[in-house]
Amino acid sequence: MKTLWLLALILAAPLSACKLPDGEEKASPRLNVNSRYTVESVRLLGTDLKISNALRVEVDRIVGGKYDLSAIEDLADRIKSEMHLADIKISVTRGTTPDHVIVNLEARQQQQKFDLNVAKFVYDSKEGWNGDGAATMNFHENAVTFGLVSDNDTLVERYAGIRARFERKSVGTDRVQLRFEFDSFHTQWNTATLSEAPLSEIYRTRQVFTPEATVVILPPLDWSFGVSFDRLGVPFSSTTVGGAAAAKTESSNAVVNTLRYHQRWGSAHDRREQEVNASYIVRAGTGLLDSDRAFTRHLARAFYRFRRGRHTVRADFAAGRLSGAAPLYERFVLGDSEMLRGWSRFDLDPVGGTRLLYGSAGYQYGILQTFYDTGAIWDTPRQKEARQSVGIGFKKECFQLAVAFPLGSGRVDPIFYAGMNF
Amino acid sequence: MSAIKFWWVVVAFLSGFALAMMAEELIVNWRNDRLEFSLSHVHFLSGGKPLEMLHNAAPVPFDFQMTVYSGSRNHVLRQITDQFVVSYALWEEDFKVVKMQSPRREREHLSAQEAEKWCVDQMAMDLPRLAPETPLWARFEIRAEDGKEGPLFGGSIGDSGLSLTSLIEVFSRPARAAQSHWGPYEAGPFTLEDLKRSPRRGS
Repeated sequence: MKTLWLLALILAAPLSACKLPDGEEKASPRLNVNSRYTVESVRLLGTDLKISNALRVEVDRIVGGKYDLSAIEDLADRIKSEMHLADIKISVTRGTTPDHVIVNLEARQQQQKFDLNVAKFVYDSKEGWNGDGAATMNFHENAVTFGLVSDNDTLVERYAGIRARFERKSVGTDRVQLRFEFDSFHTQWNTATLSEAPLSEIYRTRQVFTPEATVVILPPLDWSFGVSFDRLGVPFSSTTVGGAAAAKTESSNAVVNTLRYHQRWGSAHDRREQEVNASYIVRAGTGLLDSDRAFTRHLARAFYRFRRGRHTVRADFAAGRLSGAAPLYERFVLGDSEMLRGWSRFDLDPVGGTRLLYGSAGYQYGILQTFYDTGAIWDTPRQKEARQSVGIGFKKECFQLAVAFPLGSGRVDPIFYAGMNF
Repeated sequence: MSAIKFWWVVVAFLSGFALAMMAEELIVNWRNDRLEFSLSHVHFLSGGKPLEMLHNAAPVPFDFQMTVYSGSRNHVLRQITDQFVVSYALWEEDFKVVKMQSPRREREHLSAQEAEKWCVDQMAMDLPRLAPETPLWARFEIRAEDGKEGPLFGGSIGDSGLSLTSLIEVFSRPARAAQSHWGPYEAGPFTLEDLKRSPRRGS
């Protein structure tokens, strides 16, 4: 455990040094003689759509500042993403006064009204295929999404079903977004889980309705809050009818809070690029929402990535704590395609744990990647045991092909991963 | 009649010599105990995509590689690689070049020709303890990172995953043109003895 905490501290160190990139970035514009000029204006061409206030603030920040191509490319990427544009061309011309330049961001194609999206498509040699895809219709500032999912990777169960979501990207102000999501899943269970979990904990269906609002506190920091109404179809509840377990519908309604920080310095076009992504999620099941389950779940996750040329280093950290009578899908899992790769979650803890600590360090050269994962999952202090794994493979952005080996398991039993995961 | 014939011979010889000079692109010199190179007829800042990017206020890295072979053309005696980041000042209409490898150097307010020459001059190399009669060959290559390796899907992948829009963008894009490159230009065989008498030219 000491090793784990030490690793956590080491991995957290770069996060505390988030100001460092400023110094790094200063070196880069010196390569470009135009960085001595001042940006006179930024023009958005080829589209009559209005950008959000958050992006307007970013544009205003660039105007009057020194010309920084990296910042402008980053802004163009964000506008492209927000407005669902196919491409944005950056062109720079002389300004109206000496030593000033005008930046033109030209939308090359009109807004995409309809889009298909694949969020996950992963093959795991032990657990098989996992997929998560959706179709989205954009109209004005609204988006309606319908999706299909089959996932045997992230929870103790395999869940498969549909998602439907409505999003309003601006409610009064661009800083507030609203989202309603309805999910309906059927679940399948591994025999190891069935043999360890009480029968009353096993559910066959799960419906989730989540109204949620997101407030952009200060880019890149945002806060999401809402409620998750979950209905579980339990075929063998602890309630008995005539001496036999009866089927029952249970509710697990929780207040959900997520604080998220995502900052990026440089872009994929630059020689240097850094990224920090951190989130803290609290879910609290409470009787106030007429929930049959009362629990509190805390999860903190972070990663830091630094790329210089073809070299990339990445550090990940996660810690979680669950208390109360939470349903199985709230329990923490290690040994999936993201955390503690190489281990099977059913070998570590078939019903998941209530405590989680995880760290990972990775190095990538070009598309060749290596990684070292370590973590522990437990319910009682006696069960606490740090596990480790190493892996090697190929990775290009989200696509990866990797093989990971569990260390100290007493056998060489690698797991192969292929596909893409976000 | 005989005078006309004589002048025809002189003109033919001189024009042939001039054409030969024009065709020879890599010139090798020995000066101050260093091997120096010149690419007087190669202009990597005169057009194409790199110049288009430069005129759009974007810096363009150029990778240079100079290789000297000795004895046979399979034996690499010395190889130098360096990167030069070139940018074009929109207001002053001149170039700045930064040599990236140590020792890092930079020059500003250069014309296109001056910038090209400065980059090539930085590739001069020492050849210590080399027998003067050893046959040598030189090979020079330049590549621009104008079609540099960017995001696989042009940066269109968001937190929510890979979208159809990004796929359409990728597949509707024309096949990426090869990286702009110049050369390889070669010279040889020559020896240091030859160079001390006169520079060697290659193509």
